[in-house]
Amino acid sequence: MKKKLLFMLALVVTLLVGWGATSTTTAQAATDNSLARVQKKGTLVMGTSPDYPPYEFQATVHGKSQVVGMDVAVGQKIAKGLGVKLVVKSMSFDSLLVALQTGKVDMVISGMNPTPARKKNVDFTHLYYQGGYSIVVNKSEKGLYKDKDSFKGKTIGAQTGSTMYNESKKQTTNTKVKGMTSVSDLILALQSHKLAGVAMEKPSAQAYVANNKQLAMIPSHFNLSASDTSAAVAFKKGSSSLVTAANKSVDQIRKQDLVNKDYLPAAGKYLKTNTVNTSMWHYWKAFLTGIKYTLIITVCSVFFGFILGVLLSLARMAQGGVFKTALRWLATAYVEFIRGTPMMVQVMFVYFGLGLIVNLPALTSGIIAISLNSGAYIAEYIRGGINSVDDGQTEAARSLGLTNTATLRYVVLPQALKNIWPSLGNEFITLIKDSSIVSIIGVSELIFQSNIVRSDTYRGVAPIAVIMVLYFIMTFTASRILNYFERRMQHD
Amino acid sequence: MTKPIIEVKNLAKEFDGNPVLKDITEQVNPGQVIVVIGPSGSGKSTFLRCLNLLETPTSGQVAFDGQDLTTLDTKRVNELREQMGMVFQGFNLFPNMSVLENIKLAPMKVKGVSDADATKRAHELLQQVNLDDHADAFPSSLSGGQKQRVAIARALAMDPKVMLFDEPTSALDPEMVGEVLNVMQDLATQGMTMVVVTHEMGFAKSVADRIWFMADGYIQENSTPDDFFAHPQTERAQDFLSKILM
Repeated sequence: MKKKLLFMLALVVTLLVGWGATSTTTAQAATDNSLARVQKKGTLVMGTSPDYPPYEFQATVHGKSQVVGMDVAVGQKIAKGLGVKLVVKSMSFDSLLVALQTGKVDMVISGMNPTPARKKNVDFTHLYYQGGYSIVVNKSEKGLYKDKDSFKGKTIGAQTGSTMYNESKKQTTNTKVKGMTSVSDLILALQSHKLAGVAMEKPSAQAYVANNKQLAMIPSHFNLSASDTSAAVAFKKGSSSLVTAANKSVDQIRKQDLVNKDYLPAAGKYLKTNTVNTSMWHYWKAFLTGIKYTLIITVCSVFFGFILGVLLSLARMAQGGVFKTALRWLATAYVEFIRGTPMMVQVMFVYFGLGLIVNLPALTSGIIAISLNSGAYIAEYIRGGINSVDDGQTEAARSLGLTNTATLRYVVLPQALKNIWPSLGNEFITLIKDSSIVSIIGVSELIFQSNIVRSDTYRGVAPIAVIMVLYFIMTFTASRILNYFERRMQHD
Repeated sequence: MTKPIIEVKNLAKEFDGNPVLKDITEQVNPGQVIVVIGPSGSGKSTFLRCLNLLETPTSGQVAFDGQDLTTLDTKRVNELREQMGMVFQGFNLFPNMSVLENIKLAPMKVKGVSDADATKRAHELLQQVNLDDHADAFPSSLSGGQKQRVAIARALAMDPKVMLFDEPTSALDPEMVGEVLNVMQDLATQGMTMVVVTHEMGFAKSVADRIWFMADGYIQENSTPDDFFAHPQTERAQDFLSKILM
């Protein structure tokens, strides 16, 4: 037993070292032949944050929800130029550059301005579009504001991590700037008068105003350099061959003015068809997908978390030699560490951090992170459950000749499980709700889906109300089912 | 002379430096019924638990069937334990299993007996302790006396060579003591080797082959019931008997 475990430990160390070595070599390879690598795999993965019409947004095309907009058209043009297929990956704007650096996506097209700060970390193509900034306000208050300097003592909003956010902070006086991740949230805050205005790029402002009669736009008069008002395609630092190839398509776009002639009008059409039917029933498929993934994540995480929890709790109770002491110490450290760090950080660490070693899809990363998190909590429940089983039970089993393992499996664990069933049930219900955290890495669970519906319909509150009811239905049903099994297990 | 089934040599046990058993050397022959009596806290239960290594002796030897348990590895200890059935004061039935499952568990999981054979044997044993009509009940629905009879049947299911009883009637209401003692008496009559820690003097008098009187960590007297109750040799035993027979 001891030997086997030592061997496994050695194996893990070897693998880690091995991974480290291979990841460095792949990183070097990517530097040298980024273009060849993309052409070899035949796909170009584009990362974008689809809540920024008309740059990129969700629309229902032929009954299926997909990302459309002028940036997608730019992406398609570049992919076509390289002779590969375009794959669009959605995530929050904040996560885009991390995803690019960790190889989750090959390029980022998301209305991104090639600022000097960004240029330090990624390579940009030539500009494919040059716009400007506007400020969206409530139509009823339009008379109050002229430009950026009219908001003294008021609060304006901008997308977190965006150029508008930084410039709004720099170029306004006595004005509070509030950042939010998604533009649809900002618009909602505007309409509920939490914000007086929202700074965004002109095409986006036009789209919002065109689709919402209660909104109006004013010029911003921000003092900006060309790089601040324009958009370019971002690639991983050092992939010059890929940038050069992409620039050929970008130059064509600029030369033929494709954005204004083709891409924007096409995006506008989607916006129009998109807003014909904003009833929540129309989006039942989107919500259903959300429920499906929320349940998949929760059930898988509780399952793997339970297995991990059993192992951890046994390790925490191991008594004996040096090896068992080390095992106990490790398990204790793990449990303390996981319980002492936010689940959101753990999710990002697994997706982006482990992503450096193995390329895991977002769903898998989410399930891994939540299982690892849940395992630590379940381990503590199980440990408490095992301690609550009377010593006499173990003695009776051992006096009958049962081995330690058999005693645990047939006598102690079933009783421990019964004792901790309510706690496990709570953990399950908590996870139904907390699994929403994986929306930050773009898993299409219920929160993520509701954000899509919100940006799709330009309606802020209705989708929130819908998912609130959906979450309640799920948790209530789950607690009824768990109660039923709890009663079934009562023999004493 | 027959070979003893249990041989204890210079057994001592300490808990955190407190000596509970000091120096015990005794033996049990096949078919014998030994009743261990003595004042509370004299180490009777600890002694019994050392016999099947539920407690690890601090020093000394405990041999079962000629093999010193203290020198064996866990696997061998498990094998020898199944030949020593134990009945506890607190019954320790498994509450998550029915009466029948309680009895079948060890034969099936330890000896690999088939479900059908284990079920058949379990019903025989339940008839023997007069509880076959409760086979599918859960322990929580049984009275104390019924629970203890199930516990005896559970121990017997492993076909042990020796049965150890650790104050089997102490947790029972008085009216239930008789039904448990009757089952134990039947066992004795059938020739089962038994070591019984008890306060039931009537049972000791009528069923025991030898009385071991224990006090202060030693076995002070080892004699027949007639001798012990009529002519206790040590002052400790005289004192004990005068208190309980008053």
